[in-house]
Amino acid sequence: MTKFTFNRRRFMSTAAMTGAALASPVYLRSASAAGGEVNIWTYNDFVPKSFKKQFEAETGIKVNIRLVDDQGKQFNLLAAEAPNPTVDIMTVAGHRFLQFIDNELLAPLDTDRLSNWGNINPTFSESDWATINGHKWGAPILSGMEILAYNTELVSQEEAMTWNTLFSEKYSGQTAYIIQDMMSIVMLMLGYDGNMVAYMDNPDKAAAIVEEAKQFLISKKSLVRKYYDSGAEVQQMFVNQDIALGHSWNGPAAALINDGFPLGMTIPNEGSYGFVYTYNVANNAPNADNAYTFLNAILASPEIGASMTKASGFISTYKDASNYLTDLEKQSTSFPEEQIANLQFFRAEANKMKYGLVDPAVEAVKAA
Amino acid sequence: MSHEDSARKNHDDIVQYSATRPFWGRLTNWQPYRLLLTFATASPRRQFIILAAFPLLWLLTQHLGPMIQMARVSLLESYPVAQGAPQNFTLDNYIRFFGDHIFWMPFFRTLTFAAVFTFCTLILTYPVAYFLARHVSRHNQMLMLLILLIPFWVGEIVRTYAIMILLGNTGAVNLALKWLGLIERPIPFMYTSFSMGLGIVYLTALYMLLPLYSALEKLPKSYTEVAADLGAGAWTRFRRITLPLTIEGISSGCTLVFLISTGFYATPVLLGGPSTTVFAETIAGFFHYAGDEWPTGAAFAVIMFAAALFITGLFQKLMKALRRGDTK
Repeated sequence: MTKFTFNRRRFMSTAAMTGAALASPVYLRSASAAGGEVNIWTYNDFVPKSFKKQFEAETGIKVNIRLVDDQGKQFNLLAAEAPNPTVDIMTVAGHRFLQFIDNELLAPLDTDRLSNWGNINPTFSESDWATINGHKWGAPILSGMEILAYNTELVSQEEAMTWNTLFSEKYSGQTAYIIQDMMSIVMLMLGYDGNMVAYMDNPDKAAAIVEEAKQFLISKKSLVRKYYDSGAEVQQMFVNQDIALGHSWNGPAAALINDGFPLGMTIPNEGSYGFVYTYNVANNAPNADNAYTFLNAILASPEIGASMTKASGFISTYKDASNYLTDLEKQSTSFPEEQIANLQFFRAEANKMKYGLVDPAVEAVKAA
Repeated sequence: MSHEDSARKNHDDIVQYSATRPFWGRLTNWQPYRLLLTFATASPRRQFIILAAFPLLWLLTQHLGPMIQMARVSLLESYPVAQGAPQNFTLDNYIRFFGDHIFWMPFFRTLTFAAVFTFCTLILTYPVAYFLARHVSRHNQMLMLLILLIPFWVGEIVRTYAIMILLGNTGAVNLALKWLGLIERPIPFMYTSFSMGLGIVYLTALYMLLPLYSALEKLPKSYTEVAADLGAGAWTRFRRITLPLTIEGISSGCTLVFLISTGFYATPVLLGGPSTTVFAETIAGFFHYAGDEWPTGAAFAVIMFAAALFITGLFQKLMKALRRGDTK
């Protein structure tokens, strides 16, 4: 097995990011020495360390980061603090916008205040999901997808082209997945719309589909090694060789590939779902001006987008960010055209009905 | 000594005290401080109230306060309550538990695991406590206790990760077994009830050990020596003397470990597998959902709390009966 050169890679990566940051133009020149602070809730590695350091030095604005690992937790925290939140910028997945907007937790994004808005690939910034009620609500920063990750020394790519391998006897006790995410994928595997938009007018059918997916996962429970929650967990299971394959987000899997671990990933033939992480300004943000200064700065150059990709493994939404990636990094953040064709984005329209059915089903699978 | 002499002596003492301890001396002579002291110690009742005020305030705000808030949330229709919206109270969150058997499995699993792990911890730590209290010299006891305490200087998560490093497929145990030629493929210890149990026993051992050590240490050696002189064998001495006289320690240790075990979250999440979901994970699930699920989570937490207290109460009654039976 290839040696897992974590320390060396991390050192080189940090050195490269620092070098890129030092060599980059002073993108914060326009930001006056405003001072104060900006409070951000985000996932690990979504704010590059070198960028944070330079931003703080050049603007005098202290960046306070609170790490989150779950959209639901973030919603609950924000809802508990409303209408006077302590946070300025959150990281909301595009398909979860509606929930936050309906509860008046987000402020519409004033893109006129972001001179670097044009640096985002329009595929993301101008998508249909990005505009709700005539407003933009977030700046897309990273894109991710639900993929099948596999140890290339134990599982062939051919096997990894179908989700069925995840539920096969051959790999009994060597698989892991996030149940809630797998519910959507299993619905897709069974030939249904995992977004449940198609059943918005037919709640009985939606309930029957969720029940079928639930029963499927319960019947396969004896084959799974672990139901996990965070990207770090699945990374650790692969590194410890506790699992041979598993459902994952592409970010954590790509990070392992970039670290030299023998991991492959596919978007299986049955299909999968993609999502986009966005930076959003909280309604009544205590430091809204600093939040816009931060957003404009982080959107300033493709190098920053690339460094976010290097650190998190997710795909950058910035134009030309891939120019700053190594060949291995490009490989770990791209998929063949025929696999991309299997991908569709998560949609939010039926979320209330969908998660009203899926959440109890998840508990049932865990409890079974 | 006349009153004047005594007053002069007191004055001299204060002057001398002020000279040797300038700050405290000045403070004692400071008029507002003297007034405050006179006011606070005017009567035993006032002294008691002032002394009890801080602990009571601490208990109310840091212990009872959050529990009362949790109980209140469990009765709300939704939480957080939207701005301007009325707070409606309901019992639906409790009914949901009793009406949906999905939740019973992790609930009873948690209670069963907690009972089994408590028993295992008792069995494993009793000999250690016995050895420490009865066979180690008093001088070395402190050193031994310190050594036993070392793992507890780091947090629960770090110690849980230590177990993961030991039990993983590429962990120390599997590597050792492989090196010894006992296995060809790693044994999947992780993500099973075994790994979770080991983790919980390891994390709670100290809470069992200290009450046991305290009970055993208080037991006079002469009791067992007399029994031996009268012909009682080792097992009889343990069964008839040591065990009954350490029931209090067993009771305290078991209560502590059981209550802690019912509330463990991180360890089952990190070490447990698909078939070891505990009730704390179910409760946490309600707090993760992006919706109005906090009241259900709070209600479930109250149910777990009440059940754990009820079982502990029964256990204490049993222990009390055993103690009473023993002294008859």
